[in-house]
Amino acid sequence: MTKIPPAVIADLRALLGERVLTETGALAAYGRDATPLFRHAPDVVVQPLTTEEVAGVMRIATRHRVPVTTRGAGTNLCAATVPLSGGIVLSTTRMTALTEVSRDEMLAVCQPGVTAGALNRAAAAVGLVYVPDPGSKEASTVGGNVATCAGGLRGLKYGVTRQYVLGLEAVLPDGEVIRTGGRLVKDVAGYDLTRLLVGSEGTLAVITEITMALVPNPAAARYGVAYFESMADASEAVRDIVASGPAPATLEFMDAVCIAAVEDFAHLGLRLDAGALLLFGDDGEPDAVDRSVARMAEVCGKRATHIELAESVAAAEDLLAARRCNLPALARSGSMTILEDVTVPRPKLAEMVAFVAATADKHGVRIGTFGHAGDGNLHPTAVVDGDDQAATEAAMAAFDEIFHHAVDLGGTITGEHGVGAAKLPYLEHRLGPEQMALLRRIKGAFDPLGLLNPGKLGS
Amino acid sequence: MSEQTGPEQSSPELTSPEQTSPEQTSPGDGGPKGIFSKDLLDACISCGFCLPACPTYAMTGQEQSSPRGRITLMRLLETGDLAPDDATLAEESSLCLGCRACETVCPAGVQYGHLLEEWRDEQWSGLKRPWIVRPLLLIANRKWVLRTLGLVRRSARRRSGAADQPTLMLGCFERGLFPSVSRGIAALDPDLAVDPDQGCCGALHAHNGELEQGRDLARKLGERLPGTIVTTSGGCAAHLADVIGRERVVEASEWLLKQNLDVSERPLRVGLQDSCHLRNGLGVWKEPRELLGRTATYVELPSAGSCCGAAGTYALVRKKESKAILAKKIAEIEAADLDLVIAVNPGCLRQLQTGLRKSQSRTKAVHIVDYLRGHKA
Repeated sequence: MTKIPPAVIADLRALLGERVLTETGALAAYGRDATPLFRHAPDVVVQPLTTEEVAGVMRIATRHRVPVTTRGAGTNLCAATVPLSGGIVLSTTRMTALTEVSRDEMLAVCQPGVTAGALNRAAAAVGLVYVPDPGSKEASTVGGNVATCAGGLRGLKYGVTRQYVLGLEAVLPDGEVIRTGGRLVKDVAGYDLTRLLVGSEGTLAVITEITMALVPNPAAARYGVAYFESMADASEAVRDIVASGPAPATLEFMDAVCIAAVEDFAHLGLRLDAGALLLFGDDGEPDAVDRSVARMAEVCGKRATHIELAESVAAAEDLLAARRCNLPALARSGSMTILEDVTVPRPKLAEMVAFVAATADKHGVRIGTFGHAGDGNLHPTAVVDGDDQAATEAAMAAFDEIFHHAVDLGGTITGEHGVGAAKLPYLEHRLGPEQMALLRRIKGAFDPLGLLNPGKLGS
Repeated sequence: MSEQTGPEQSSPELTSPEQTSPEQTSPGDGGPKGIFSKDLLDACISCGFCLPACPTYAMTGQEQSSPRGRITLMRLLETGDLAPDDATLAEESSLCLGCRACETVCPAGVQYGHLLEEWRDEQWSGLKRPWIVRPLLLIANRKWVLRTLGLVRRSARRRSGAADQPTLMLGCFERGLFPSVSRGIAALDPDLAVDPDQGCCGALHAHNGELEQGRDLARKLGERLPGTIVTTSGGCAAHLADVIGRERVVEASEWLLKQNLDVSERPLRVGLQDSCHLRNGLGVWKEPRELLGRTATYVELPSAGSCCGAAGTYALVRKKESKAILAKKIAEIEAADLDLVIAVNPGCLRQLQTGLRKSQSRTKAVHIVDYLRGHKA
C-alpha cells in the first residue's frame, strides 16, 4: 500500500525507467540519514541523471502534489534528508558529472552528486584546492555540502561552503530552471539568490549544478598541540591567538572526556592528565607558516602545561588524526551517538564548554565536547545506550538546555551541520518570530505548494 | 508499508524530535530476533563514511547497496520491521561482494564481514542458498574428495617437517584449479610440512550461509595442523585467522618475504591485484608488492586494492555484476601495458585469467607463488 497515487509511480517510470525504486526494503534504507532518532520512509526513490530529468520529476510532483526530499549521500547530522512526509526522495548520487575544472578561472563546475573528496582531487590535479573540509568529505556530496552550507576544520581562516559557491543552477518546484550567480567574483546584480539557496536544505529548489571557487594549494602546512589544565585556560589561549595576528587555518580543541576516549581508541600518546588540548596549525608559504606556528606556540606557552610541535609530516598526521577520530572514539563507548553542533562567540567558548559539562552531569549523560575553537563551533557529543529510552530522553533534555544556552550567549544552534528536522524546534529561539515569518514567506515564494522537504526550514 | 516507522505526517509542521522517533511507533514487534550479534550491529553510527569504499554502491548509487544501507536492512530484519522474505533483503545479501573494503574506512570499527556472515547464515539457509553454491559447499566438506582431487591434479605431496616448521594449507579449490601453486610453494620452501588429509578451512561455508559449519571446519583444520599454518589464498587466510587466531596464520607472501628468497630480476612490467580478504581482513598488502618490486618493474594498478569481482562464489552467483566489475579491471590492466598481473588468491586468479583470455590480452595472470617459483635464481 502506498500513500501516493499509482499514477505518480507510472509517470516517474515513464520518465526514468528503472531508476525508480519502490521496493519496501529499498525505501526503508532511504528512511534515515546519519542522524539518530529520525526515521521515515519515502514512498518512492528516484535517481535522475540530468537537470531535465530533475525538472521532469518536479513537474510530476507538482501535478500530483507529492512532497519531494532531495538527498545526496545522507551524511548529515540534523535529519535534513529524512522524508518526514514520505513522498519522493530525489537522490542525486548518480548526478556525478564534473563538467569543468578551470585553472585560469580557479573554479570547478559539477553536478550535485560529485563527492567533496572527488572535487578536491580534481582540483588538486591542477594545483588548486576545494577548501571546505567537512569530516565527511570523502562520502558527502557537493550538493549536500551546498544545501547545508557545510564547514570543517579550516573554517576560521577559510570560512564555510557559502564563501566558495559562485553560481548555481536549480530547479523550482514547478519544473522551471533558474541560474543564479555565475562565474564572476564581482557580480552584484539583483538579490543574492545563490546565497539564499546555499544552506536552504532543499526547501526552496533542487540544486542541479554548482560553480565552485577553488584556491591555490598552500605550499606548506604545520601543526602543534598544546595541553592545558582547564578548558578555561585553553579558551583564553584561543582568544590571545586570534588577537595576536592573522587567523590561523586550524585551531581545534578537545575536552578531557574526548582526550581520554581518543587515547583509549587510537593510542597516539596524548597526555591524559590534561583538562583540554588545543590543536593549532597554519598553511601557506613555508616561512609564513613557521612564523604563524611559532607565534601560536608562544601565545599558548603563557598558559599551557605542555606544548609539542609536529616536526614531521607523520607527526602532524597523528595530531590531525587525534582530532578527526573524536567521533568514532566516543562512538565506541555506546550504542547511540548524538553529535551536536552549536556555535558561540569565541570569548564565551570556555563558559559554553563548562555549561555542557555541568548539564551533562545534571542529566546523568556522558557528553564529550570537541570542536573548532577558532570559530567558536562546539560539537557536544552524547553517547548513550540506544535501547534505554530514559537515557535517550535525558540526552535530549540536556541538548535542549544546551541549544537554548548557546543562543542566550549570543551564539547559534548550528555552525555547520544545518537545521534539518532535528534543530527546527530551536530555530525560532535563534531567529525570533519576525524572521521566522519572513522565512516562511520566502519559502512560499519559491515553493507555494510546500512540496520541497516539508518539515524543515520555512515550515 | 511495513517498514514505515515514523508517524503519519499529514502536515509538515513538526515541532519536536520525539514526534518522529521511530521506536514508539514501530509496526513490527520490535523485538530482537537474535540473528545478529547485538554489539556488532550497534557499532554502526550510520555516518556513511563507508559509502565511497563500496563497489556495489559505486555501481548503483543506491543506499540499500551500501554497507550503511545494508546494516539498516539488517537492523530492520532483526527487529521484525522487515519481513524475512523481503525482496531487497534477498537481493542485497547476494549483491554484496563481501570484500570488506568498508571496514578499512569505518571510523567506528564496524565488523561488517561478520555481520554479512550472520546475515547470510539467516538469509541463505537451506533451500534459499543460491543453487550454484550448494555443490561447492558439499565438495569442500568431504576430505576424500579433496584428497582425490589432490592426487588427480597433483598438488603438493605429503611430507613431514621439523617440529617447529609450519604446515602448508592446501586450499580446496586451489587443488582443483591451480595445483601448481601448492607444488610451487613447497618447492620454494622445502621445510614446509604438507598433510594431504587436512580438509577445508570452511571460508566458503562461512561466506555462504553456513557460518557454524565454516567455523567448525576452521577449528578442525587448526587442530589437524599444529603450529603455524601457511596459506596461499587470501580468503582462507582471513577466515582461518578469524577462527583460530591471527598469530597462527601466515599468508604466502608474508612467509616468502621472511625467507629471503634469492630471486633474479627480470625485464618485466608486473602489476598486482590484491585479495580483498588479505588486504581488508588481514591488512597484508605491502608484502606482495615488496616481493614483486624486487624482481621486476612493479606497476601499481589504480584499483589494485578494490575487488576484481571474483569474491568467492560471487562470480557464479552474480555473473552480470561480476563481469561489469571485471571489465573495468581488465581495461585498467590493458592501459598499464603489463606483462603479468599477479594474484594472491585462487578466486582472483581465475577471474583475471578469464577476463584476460576473453579480451585476448597479451597480459597473463599468475599466482604470486608460481611467479616467484619461475623467478627463483
